[in-house]
Amino acid sequence: MTSLALTGIKKSYGAIDIIHGVDLAIEPGEFVVFVGPSGCGKSTLLRMIAGLEPITGGELRIAGARMNEVSAAERGIAMVFQSYALYPHMSVYKNMSFGLETARMPKAEIDLRVRKAAEILQITKLLDRKPKQLSGGQRQRVAIGRAIVRDPQVFLFDEPLSNLDAELRVQTRVEIAKLHADIGATMIYVTHDQVEAMTLADRIVVLNGGRIEQAGTPLEIYNTPANRFVAGFIGSPKMNFLNVSVDGRAGEAVTLDLAGTKLAVRGIDARPEGLCLGVRPEHLDVGSDRGTPLGAMIATHVEQLGGQTIVYGSLKDRQPIVATLNGQKSVRAGEELRLTADLAQCHVFDAGGRRVAVQSA
Amino acid sequence: MTETTVDATGSSPLLRAFAYAAVLAVSFVMLYPLLWMVSSSFKPENEIFSTTSLIPETFTTDAYRRGWNGLSVSFGWMFLNSTVIALLAVVGNLVSCSMAAYAFTRLQFKGRSFWFALMLGTMMLPQHAVLIPQYLMFLNFGWVNTILPLVVPKFLAIDAFFIFLMIQFFRGIPRDLDEAAVMDGAGPLRIFFKIILPLSTPVLATAAVFSFIWTWDDFFAPLIYLNDIEKYTAQLGLRTFVDATAQSDWGALLAMSTLTILPIFILFVVFQRLLIEGIATTGMKR
Repeated sequence: MTSLALTGIKKSYGAIDIIHGVDLAIEPGEFVVFVGPSGCGKSTLLRMIAGLEPITGGELRIAGARMNEVSAAERGIAMVFQSYALYPHMSVYKNMSFGLETARMPKAEIDLRVRKAAEILQITKLLDRKPKQLSGGQRQRVAIGRAIVRDPQVFLFDEPLSNLDAELRVQTRVEIAKLHADIGATMIYVTHDQVEAMTLADRIVVLNGGRIEQAGTPLEIYNTPANRFVAGFIGSPKMNFLNVSVDGRAGEAVTLDLAGTKLAVRGIDARPEGLCLGVRPEHLDVGSDRGTPLGAMIATHVEQLGGQTIVYGSLKDRQPIVATLNGQKSVRAGEELRLTADLAQCHVFDAGGRRVAVQSA
Repeated sequence: MTETTVDATGSSPLLRAFAYAAVLAVSFVMLYPLLWMVSSSFKPENEIFSTTSLIPETFTTDAYRRGWNGLSVSFGWMFLNSTVIALLAVVGNLVSCSMAAYAFTRLQFKGRSFWFALMLGTMMLPQHAVLIPQYLMFLNFGWVNTILPLVVPKFLAIDAFFIFLMIQFFRGIPRDLDEAAVMDGAGPLRIFFKIILPLSTPVLATAAVFSFIWTWDDFFAPLIYLNDIEKYTAQLGLRTFVDATAQSDWGALLAMSTLTILPIFILFVVFQRLLIEGIATTGMKR
């Protein structure tokens, strides 16, 4: 049984379409991350699932039942807001019990649930405090606690870590993953941070312009991006997109020209224009004997991260390229480097941005 | 380095002393009538207009005794009338204006912007333009010579200024809180009472204080609607000390005037901080 099913979900504000028909099925207990650039509609989609935005078209089902017209509170959903949205005038305890009191749950039961959730999140000592007496991380926990006490079928997270500093963000990320493992509820998590997406998700849904570009496990998305947008969005530094032209054809094998370097591949049928070769910086190698030679790169800027060396530069035809090298490499600006890569890790995108499956010939 | 110090504003101590003296002088000129009123209330009747001094030559509280008991109804009774009307106006304004403001900021209803514009329009309307139609209406209701015309409208959110003030404040309350409450299953009423109102104490206090002061100080509306001296407010009572045909009791008038500003003064001192907070957070100007 699916936990949550979106069928042709649409959202328009007047004549402006924001979401153009999204289809997605989410399994019970799955951790799904919506990721995309700002304005891609990921938050709108989440708010429609929550019941905070009316759904313009399509159908939303939770545990098999149609939810389009059901009020937010009756959907069995809890949401953690980006701003935490803790009630400033209520104690932590009251913040967590407010929803249960609204539902007229017996006092004893409320107390039991609040204390249990507080224990899970280790905020028992904070129950009498007001939100303004808490640190960012503690507020975050209370916001999650407020969601947990309602024992929802589905948790929604709207960029919950964006207000935390870098260190706390990593820590909380780990805790959310642990929480998911512990309580096993379905979780939908919205972020624009691809690292959060990669680390937390069972499945990533990449959104752009109100459409799903690709949905798949983090490694599927990383290894076989469906198109140039997904390839560019996931991975840091960003994938290199290098213009290539078709140089010649011999049977099934096609020779591509990359700034004067010839690459023989298989799998391109017509004689397409505007092809582009996608290579992740971390898949590039310098001065190695293995892999396919991709020509020479002139380094213009080098970043030493300790564990990695990131080299910025350009190819012979001045196309910019970035290479991430393992370890500490002594590369100087102006130096010429021989690039190689495993063609199996490279991608070819057609003029429309779609990925073309190619093999090396 | 010389001994002359120059402060952060760059002005010399001499210049600053001069500025302070000027400000004090102007303040004194502004305050003189008030101080004169207070001091004259302790002077015997013949001394009031014969000297401009603020210190009474003979100190007497006789004017207070005469003022309190000199009319056919005790002035205390009028104080009570004023208090009842002012308190009812405060309650009415707080309840009705906060609800109207909540509707305008948070609820979706047909013609919302039209009604909002109309409400703002009533702020521009001078009170005197609606006086006669309003009087006729209350006359038909049989409400003239009762406190109803002074009190009932306050429960119907007629004071657009307070609505506007609260709208400004409510807009500053993050919508996320409403949405979190919606996720928690709260309806509009529960959100209003449990989330919005508790977070609005500064603006509620501001509205309450101004509501009280303006109703307390109001002379015109009670003059129009109240006829019997037992129903008079303190402000109306003050007028009865001045008589165009017989002799006016100036001492009693000034003594009772002093008493009348006392509640306002105390209120202002007590709520000063909340008032400033309310005004600062709403960007209010009047």
